[in-house]
Amino acid sequence: MEEKIRIDFAKLVKRVATDKTGDFIKFDENKCDGCGKCTLVCSFGLWSVKEGKAKISPRYREFCLECAACWEICEAEAIDFSYPAGGTGVVIEYG
Amino acid sequence: MGKWDVVVVGAGPGGSYAAMTAAKLGLRTVFFERGRKPGEKNSSGCGLGQRWWRDFPEIMEQLTRLPSARKIEMVVINLVDGKNRLRYRCGTTGSDLCARRWPHGMDGISIYRKDLDPFLAELAVRAGAELRTSTLITDVVMEDGVVRGVVTERGEKILCDMVIAADGAMSTMARRAGMRNRWKGGCTLVAQLDFSCNPDKMDDVIGAAEWCWFGPLYGAYQVNFRDGFHIGNGRWLRPDWDMKPTEMISRVLDIPAFQAMCRAVEAKPREYQAHLLPWLERPRKTYTGGMLLVGDAAGFPCPLEAEGIWHACVSGKIAAETASWAISRGDVSESALSEYERRWKSSSLGKEHEFGSEFVGIWNASVFDPGNMEKQIQLLLEFSMLHPFSIVFDWGDAHMDCFNQHLGHFLDIAPQFADFGRKYIAPLARGIWPENVKRILLALKPRIPVFRRLKDEDYFRLLARISKTLAPYLKPGIDQRAPVPREVFEAPRRR
Repeated sequence: MEEKIRIDFAKLVKRVATDKTGDFIKFDENKCDGCGKCTLVCSFGLWSVKEGKAKISPRYREFCLECAACWEICEAEAIDFSYPAGGTGVVIEYG
Repeated sequence: MGKWDVVVVGAGPGGSYAAMTAAKLGLRTVFFERGRKPGEKNSSGCGLGQRWWRDFPEIMEQLTRLPSARKIEMVVINLVDGKNRLRYRCGTTGSDLCARRWPHGMDGISIYRKDLDPFLAELAVRAGAELRTSTLITDVVMEDGVVRGVVTERGEKILCDMVIAADGAMSTMARRAGMRNRWKGGCTLVAQLDFSCNPDKMDDVIGAAEWCWFGPLYGAYQVNFRDGFHIGNGRWLRPDWDMKPTEMISRVLDIPAFQAMCRAVEAKPREYQAHLLPWLERPRKTYTGGMLLVGDAAGFPCPLEAEGIWHACVSGKIAAETASWAISRGDVSESALSEYERRWKSSSLGKEHEFGSEFVGIWNASVFDPGNMEKQIQLLLEFSMLHPFSIVFDWGDAHMDCFNQHLGHFLDIAPQFADFGRKYIAPLARGIWPENVKRILLALKPRIPVFRRLKDEDYFRLLARISKTLAPYLKPGIDQRAPVPREVFEAPRRR
């Protein structure tokens, strides 16, 4: 018996209900070379490339997993990642 | 409160263990956690291996009683081919001889971080360290190139004699102190999917075991807890990255044998996480003036299986002891703190990285190289047919003929792996203890007429002269229970 397991990944993430996370991803458009790797490493597709430059979703605070993969993959070092304010952001219950 | 002796950034296992050790050494210690409580921000495999019993026995004893703990008596390896067919399943438990190494035998445990991290942080608090939660540390205080403290997100400066940075793979502390920026190819991204399960069915179906799913499409671990499990699948973040993390983890869900296991334990998807995991041949720089890096921040996870929690605790302990030593001497300069590197390199943590390039190379040329992995599975399957049990159950022909046919197949395909063997497996021979090499040679001696009558020491001396391969193991004065030092192995033979 084969049965495909279907997952709605975004529904499987919990976070602290607050608007005080702050702006924790800083992006330097001048350094960006538009390679688009950030769009591939992001679980929820929060980066996109338009006209040769990456752009982060204005709603990234509601979806970001805080994995920092976009920072690590960016060879142009255009992405500076810190973390949401203490006590906010993703809550991992079963890590 | 005025100046602290030690500020620890991060209350994961490394930070808490460092804070506890520092407090026990009488240092005024504060440690910071960005989550509302320790463990709230952490995603990891979290299987704690047997060496925990050796190094942290009292802690391990108590961890086994925490709610999510499940014992690991066996690791089950599921080998799956490119068509998602389960081709080979085997388990490792060790023999009773292995069990003699320490009193708890081969048992490890798996435990959720929501249990582990608060428990370790509590030990640090009980030892006298102060814990501040919901506080993000955003910068270091530098004076003349030496770290003198940290800055909180609210701009508060916390001054101290020594900072221990246990702030994970991205380590803001290491970056702000100018020690490094990205890992540049030395870091993996791991997607992790947690499932809730029926705990009784977990006992019946999974038992006390960890599982792995290896194949050309995945190199995934399955860590089993009391009432759930999670699967994690990762890859190095390099320019050839080509798929979404969610897609990477979804591939495991396509394996029919995995689906069957899910049905048997009534698994339901519960949580999705993604995290960075440094996976390096060897750690990068781990100290600067006034600051030491521990755990993932230092790049310590094992180069062979990427376990990092034991490494975090061991490095946390060494870092706190080194900090105490440096503070008491009144010298926290970068050159003084090189002592930290000397200490961890000579510990079992450092030994782990002696074969880092070979270990990382093996993964890159197998599970993380789909084409190679598909071929290696074929090799392994033929090899497994030579196993006595396989011969018993091969009814294709007369049993000795079956054996010879399989041996023939194995010899047909083995030459394709000559390069792999030469590059990644052969160099590991340096790690065989000279003591064991000598035992093998002594066992052979009576069977070889020309050597039979020689005294043991003359026999070794003669072999060292005629064999370039054996000479390094037989060199006088080297440690009999340690890898032969690289330079001895690579030294040109005297003529």
